[in-house]
Amino acid sequence: MEKSKKIGTISAIMLTLSIAVSYITSSLPRTFINETKSATILNIVYITFIVLFIILLFCNLFKKFPGLDILDISKYLGGNILKDIVGGFFIIYFTVSSSIMLRNFCDSLVVVYYPLTSYVFVILMFIFSIALVNRLSFNATLNVSSIVFPLVLISAILLFFGNIDNFSFRRIYPILGDGFYNTFILGLKNIGAFGGICYLYFLPPMLKQPEKFKKIAVISVIATGLFILLCVGTLLFMFSFFLTTDEIMPLFSAARYIEFGTFFQRFESVFLLIWIISFCCFLSITCKFSTHIFNKMFNLSDIKPLSIIFIILIFGLSLIPQNYAIANFLETNVYRYLRIAVGFVLGITILIFANFKKRKVGGKN
Amino acid sequence: MVKISIILKRIFILIIIIILISSFSASYNSLNLDNLAFAVAIGIDKSTSNKLKVTFEFLAPSPSNESGGSTKPVLNTVECSSITNGINIMNAYLGKKVNLSHCKLIIFSEELAKEGISDEVYSLINEVQIRPSANIVVSKCNSKYYIENSVPSLESLIPRYYDIFPNTSEYTGYTCNATIGDFFNALVCNSCSPYAILGGINSSDTDSSQSQTSDDSTIKSNESPITGNRASQNIGLAVFKDDKLAGELNAIETICFLNMRKQVDTFLVSIPNPQDSTSKIDIYLTPNSTHKIDVSFVNGAPYIKINFEFSGKIYSMSKNSQYLDNDILDAISESCNNYLKDQFSNYLYKTSTVLESDINGLGVYSLSKFTTSSEFNDYNWLNNYKNSTFDVNIKTVIDSGFLLTQT
Repeated sequence: MEKSKKIGTISAIMLTLSIAVSYITSSLPRTFINETKSATILNIVYITFIVLFIILLFCNLFKKFPGLDILDISKYLGGNILKDIVGGFFIIYFTVSSSIMLRNFCDSLVVVYYPLTSYVFVILMFIFSIALVNRLSFNATLNVSSIVFPLVLISAILLFFGNIDNFSFRRIYPILGDGFYNTFILGLKNIGAFGGICYLYFLPPMLKQPEKFKKIAVISVIATGLFILLCVGTLLFMFSFFLTTDEIMPLFSAARYIEFGTFFQRFESVFLLIWIISFCCFLSITCKFSTHIFNKMFNLSDIKPLSIIFIILIFGLSLIPQNYAIANFLETNVYRYLRIAVGFVLGITILIFANFKKRKVGGKN
Repeated sequence: MVKISIILKRIFILIIIIILISSFSASYNSLNLDNLAFAVAIGIDKSTSNKLKVTFEFLAPSPSNESGGSTKPVLNTVECSSITNGINIMNAYLGKKVNLSHCKLIIFSEELAKEGISDEVYSLINEVQIRPSANIVVSKCNSKYYIENSVPSLESLIPRYYDIFPNTSEYTGYTCNATIGDFFNALVCNSCSPYAILGGINSSDTDSSQSQTSDDSTIKSNESPITGNRASQNIGLAVFKDDKLAGELNAIETICFLNMRKQVDTFLVSIPNPQDSTSKIDIYLTPNSTHKIDVSFVNGAPYIKINFEFSGKIYSMSKNSQYLDNDILDAISESCNNYLKDQFSNYLYKTSTVLESDINGLGVYSLSKFTTSSEFNDYNWLNNYKNSTFDVNIKTVIDSGFLLTQT
């Protein structure tokens, strides 16, 4: 990768956070609260520490392969076959995840703003926009992410403090929610919320300063944890109904309550605009990474037409769920496990075996 | 060759723009101002045939409105099996789409509220246009009659009046800013119960300036000594048990409720004058931030300890008032403490034993006493609230009058 096209430290952090934002603005907070009830805050802190531990392990495992990404390491471990298998899994994960989330997000937008428009056209709006963005350099997307994420953060802070009068902080009790097992054992599956980690596997060769990889990874995890805490906390302290009732776009529901006097009302439109831009950044990043992996797998000379193919693939996959119920089921029950399987199990396993091999080869030498 | 590709690209972009314009125009048209009829209030009554009677209040622009004058309310009523059907029938009748995004007030008649309003509230919350901040009122009379009589006398615009009147709770404590969002939140909550503003119409008895109540602080809608241009009143609170109306609170009980929920800035009470048992002193009280509520369990029943602190100033002044004398001020403070303790105790026992409804959200304070949600659910707080014992402690510091301190 040319030096000018390489990613700076801040852009890399914003990239991983943009991924987290798209999860949080969809149904993630609701899933957290539904599954861990009043222990949600405890669960978020717990899984943030777990992910932080995993990420430190992950950085240590990467240490022996400076400047290499997971595909290079897979090639080192099992040759081109393993590289292609791993690349294939990541491509499936990126395209499936983005298409399911796109479908869910667009279904919600149809309910809120476009009652008489088919969701297909709303999806098309996103598809056209990412097709347009992907014709530009990757840095353009990253720069937009760097601008949009602070806005998203401001919106989350405003969401928290704008609703603080409606909060009941005692809703963190009973402290163990549905019990120890549900909070700490079953609650482990919430590590899928840190899906941005999957993108870290491909970052080392893209970084301007690869030595700062550990710093990027750790800051990303902590910032994602805090961001989830802020958003989920808003819902937990504010509503009792998320424990029993399902509502689309939970953060949108919270945004509807923000009012400053009789003049400043109806902030949710501004919030939704920011989240839409952020979601476009997520789709664009996902598409870019899928293209990058495919290119690396097959050494293509021109990747521009390839990005169009991935965009069409995302569009096609997003049309598969017959209704919101299926899309929601896929997002909360299937996609989450895919995220854990690819992001945590597959990636870490390859890194561990590659380190064993390296040690073995080093020992023999 | 290059030119052809540019032309093709432009044609492609043009096609995309046309597709998007045509696909989004339907939604745009449906949300076009010309096609919308904005309801500012909806009233829901029970009809004779076991159906609902839904009344929509619209604002028809009048010629005077162009120069900032008043707008004329238009009321349309439809008999239907559900609110959504009612809206649909009204759309057909008006030739416009009813839009509830500016609906400020949702009124349920007392008769309907007694039978349960959860279906209606769930349907309204499911409606994207309804704002969670829309106020919810239970009317002592039928809701259509309430809306007809809610013509503001001091504001030119009805929505402005609907917007402002619930805010009086902050400085009178006689009503409450109860919203449909809060109502729904409490309806699905297992540690609190819902409540609504109590509305009503001046009865003919009160028109003749004969109050039905002996004490100013025990007034409520329909039983108040007010006569004026506007017949509707909003004093007191409608208390629900689950989704059914369980009872009403009068003005002083509403003050207690707002204090429990920390929703009142200042309020006025008339306490017995310690120097003259036949007269009363008006005190303007401000709750301190040291309000403390603690819930524990004694023999399986809730034991609720309440420590409230207030600072106050004497409002009523008469000849020979000695409000710089510490002994007198202490005596007034003591009288105020006793008065408030009685009021709070009576109010709390009324909610627990008579109404059996935890509108104060005291269950939330008990959550920390349980380790898991299932333990709390098994305890069934809402069912056990009626067994509560209350220990109320009030501390009031009275600090002379306003401009006059001694006469």
